[in-house]
Amino acid sequence: MVSAAGLCKQVVTSEGMLDILSDVTLEIKAGESVAIVGVSGSGKSTLLGLLAGLDTPSRGSVTLAGQRLELLDEDGRAAVRAGRVGFVFQAFQLLAGMTAQENVMLPLELAGVTDAGARARELLDRVGLGDRVGHYPRQLSGGEQQRVAIARAFAGGPEILFADEPTGNLDSATGARIIEILFELNRERRTTLILVTHDEALAPRCDRRIQLDGGRIVNVARVSS
Amino acid sequence: MTRLKLALRLLRRDWRAGELNVLTAALVIAVAAVSAIGLFSDRMERALSGQTAELVGADLRLASPQPVAAEWLVAARDRNLRVAETLRFPSVVVHGEGLQLASVEAVGAGYPLRGELRTAKVLYGPETVAPGPPAVGIAWVEPRIMQALSIVPGAVIEIGVASFRVERLLTYQPGRGGSFFTLAPRVLIALGDVPRTEVIQPGSRVVYEYQFAGNANALAAYRQWLTPQLAPNHRLQGIGDGDSGAGRALKRANRYLGLTSLLAVILAGVAVAMATRRYGERHYDTAALLRCFGVSQGGVLGLLVPQFLLLGLIAGAIGCLLGWLTQAGIAQLLTGLLPATLPSPGPMPILFAFAAGLLLLAGFALPPLLRLKSIAPLRVLRRDMVPLSPPVLMVYGAGLLAITVLTLRFTGDWLITVSVLAGAGVAALALGLLALALLNVVRRLRSGVGVAWRYGFNNLWRRGRGSLTQLLAFGLALMAMAVIALLRSDLLASWQTELPPDTPNHFAFNILPADVGPLKDYFAARAIPSSGLYPMVRGRLTHINDKPVTRPVTKDDDADESLRRELNLSWSATLPPDNRLTAGPWWDAASGGGVSVETQLAERLGINLADRLTFSIGGQPLTATVASLREVQWDSFHPNFYMIFPPGALDDYPATWLTSFFLAPQQKPLLNDIVRNFPAVTVLEVDQVLGQLRAILQQVGAAVELVLLFVLAAGFVVLFAALASSLDQRIYEGALLRSLGASRRQLRSAQLAEFLLLGLLAGLLAAIGTEIIAYLLYTQAFELEYRFKWQVWLAAPLLGALLIGLAGVIGTRSVLQRSPSGILREL
Repeated sequence: MVSAAGLCKQVVTSEGMLDILSDVTLEIKAGESVAIVGVSGSGKSTLLGLLAGLDTPSRGSVTLAGQRLELLDEDGRAAVRAGRVGFVFQAFQLLAGMTAQENVMLPLELAGVTDAGARARELLDRVGLGDRVGHYPRQLSGGEQQRVAIARAFAGGPEILFADEPTGNLDSATGARIIEILFELNRERRTTLILVTHDEALAPRCDRRIQLDGGRIVNVARVSS
Repeated sequence: MTRLKLALRLLRRDWRAGELNVLTAALVIAVAAVSAIGLFSDRMERALSGQTAELVGADLRLASPQPVAAEWLVAARDRNLRVAETLRFPSVVVHGEGLQLASVEAVGAGYPLRGELRTAKVLYGPETVAPGPPAVGIAWVEPRIMQALSIVPGAVIEIGVASFRVERLLTYQPGRGGSFFTLAPRVLIALGDVPRTEVIQPGSRVVYEYQFAGNANALAAYRQWLTPQLAPNHRLQGIGDGDSGAGRALKRANRYLGLTSLLAVILAGVAVAMATRRYGERHYDTAALLRCFGVSQGGVLGLLVPQFLLLGLIAGAIGCLLGWLTQAGIAQLLTGLLPATLPSPGPMPILFAFAAGLLLLAGFALPPLLRLKSIAPLRVLRRDMVPLSPPVLMVYGAGLLAITVLTLRFTGDWLITVSVLAGAGVAALALGLLALALLNVVRRLRSGVGVAWRYGFNNLWRRGRGSLTQLLAFGLALMAMAVIALLRSDLLASWQTELPPDTPNHFAFNILPADVGPLKDYFAARAIPSSGLYPMVRGRLTHINDKPVTRPVTKDDDADESLRRELNLSWSATLPPDNRLTAGPWWDAASGGGVSVETQLAERLGINLADRLTFSIGGQPLTATVASLREVQWDSFHPNFYMIFPPGALDDYPATWLTSFFLAPQQKPLLNDIVRNFPAVTVLEVDQVLGQLRAILQQVGAAVELVLLFVLAAGFVVLFAALASSLDQRIYEGALLRSLGASRRQLRSAQLAEFLLLGLLAGLLAAIGTEIIAYLLYTQAFELEYRFKWQVWLAAPLLGALLIGLAGVIGTRSVLQRSPSGILREL
């Protein structure tokens, strides 16, 4: 489903060239759930950005849904993502001017789904926010906002879901509830899940755990569920 | 289609979230200002042109010493212009033994094309409007003829070999306004009666005058067609051609209205630019998310452009409606002041305003939108990622293009447009540098104030580019308001001084030397203000530097032929009040003789200082050297002269005296008394002309007052847009400070300090800009005398501090009202 070969990412700083990712090679199969773990600054989010085609590598290649991303331009990569990829972000990334339902509707509307409203309501109900559909993000707690984000991520029926520190902004109890929902939906919909987290406790819930350190993969472990 | 629907849905959501308020307000105000000013000035211009046309008697007049080719008149009629023919010639009017030299005007059907003829049955009796020109065999005469020939209505007079029955007194004739100061009294007869008089013979001095009226475009086209065919002895005069008070007022008012619209548009453009910039910045996340969801760059644009297009259309429609209602309201408010039949507004101002709104939006909103298109999807992970700024030319080029097109529309002249824009560019750059310098000064002065105030002062410097933009925007808005307000008061003041309440409304001629003293006493005893008595000697200019003058020279080129070769010469020890020396000194006891010549005449005849002029006075030659040149304000309603000699120079020639004086309505009966006491004196009433001029000035004054409001409204939108541009950052910083323990009071003080200082600096900037721009406008565009505007230096910083301080504190109260945790959680 997603693979990377010899992936490198370098940035120019005032002190010269900085390697953020070095020679990362991995393959993630359809339906698999993978946790990318590591300390802050280990290159987790950069890897996620590259795998999702949000960023371009300095070297190496990424294949997503059978397409070599580094050969495509911005719009080409966007076309690969369209309808196939869902995202959950640490900062939720809900649009402040839209209600919970409208936020969830957005990917459906972009895909031209006619009953976007009903499907959004259904998903919000599924994440336990059936009574908050008309609320704006500022009227929701952090956990509730992340639940809306999860509903939005699953709304388009993605084949693959990228989650970047989904519990990073939440307390542990709320975080646990969010993870519960995320994994439940993932199981139900047989989505490929790539989860970036610094929370080691989340890793055992995935099929595989990839540990990064200093931009390199230092450990790949299969996790028995 | 689906995308379009989605775009509309997104627009609705943005609208509901209040994201579009400032932008919509800016657009609505821009379109409303342009359409209201456009519509109103269109109507006013038509109405004022109508009024001025009445003063001229027609929209266009052509005077010729011979009849013009018949096809010229056919061509006018083909263009749907109305045409009236008149014939003017000097003739002696006879009644019994009495003779009076008169200017006979024979008028054809349709005369007058503009305005109306008014007559009275008895001297100084009530006036009635005449339905048309006199019938065949009938003459209407001016009161002076009645006085001179001692006749009453019903008497029979002879002109040439024909007899006419004097039916009524001619009290008002449109078209005399342009040259009302004509000496020979008029007799009005029908054009068909001219052959009967047998006065017109080959070689007779006759003025054929053709008057035209109709649609402005048709007139312009006709004029363009006619002008190349004119011979040197043809004279074409349109409305506003002359340097009359009304013409000048109209020109200035038009310029003011144009300038006001332009300033309103520029201010609205600034507001639109600031609002879309903020819109763009607040939609980085949306755009990044859309890119994340797989929407292409073109797709992002495809969602944004229709939203803005629709917004432009809706705001344009609301603006036009508001503009139309406003101008209708203004016209309603001014009922009584404006002509009863104010022409309906044409569709062009509406269409133009609508297009102007879209053009502004395209010019100023497109660059931020294009910036959104290029946002990196990675922003969803790294919020510090902002899109690259598009090339400078693109950011400013589109807006500049929009403003250029609009300026060109207002000025109608490339050269003026380029000058205005280049001037504005240099001014903006200079103001920017000045603003930077001011901020630097503030940075040094911040010590010595309390913590909260110091924080506020620091903020100004810390926000750097943001503060500079705000300072410029505030400064520009205040400057535009100040310039327009100043210009308004000075224009109104100049119009008031143009015709003060005691402007003379009567002229008295033929005052014999023996009557001079008694008349002065008469005026003094009854407290009648007069412009003083001036001697007048009739003479003809025959030679310039001993070369004969070939072109006939009179005071008024198209005046009566009987006077064509004669000038009124006068003498004076002092320079008359409405005169201004342009070359050479005024004489004193030491400098001796010479003659002072009016500049326009001097230019026409090529007369320079030290030229020798020879006059023929009653057959006797008189030679004098040109000692000075004078500019004369002919429409001051005071006696004025082309040639003034020093006292004593004309003592050997017979002179009569001339004066003008003011009689209040209740003093009117004194006229009969004056005529009785001074039978040789002839009195000319000019109340009508004066009244018409006043009405025109009053109307343009009202228009000028009202359009000021639009610049103020546009200025306020800029203030608001500039405030909104930094609101998000302020809310965030406020929340952060409050979470760190700052009290509301401290925050409020800091905000107040920042805005007060911002307002003060913006006011200072505005004062500097106003002084420069007002100077240029006064001297280059409005022909007004410029004086140092010290009031601006006081009012602009104070008002700026007050206005921006108040608006800032109110506009950013949400910083204090919302809970810090809520704000921080949203970010």
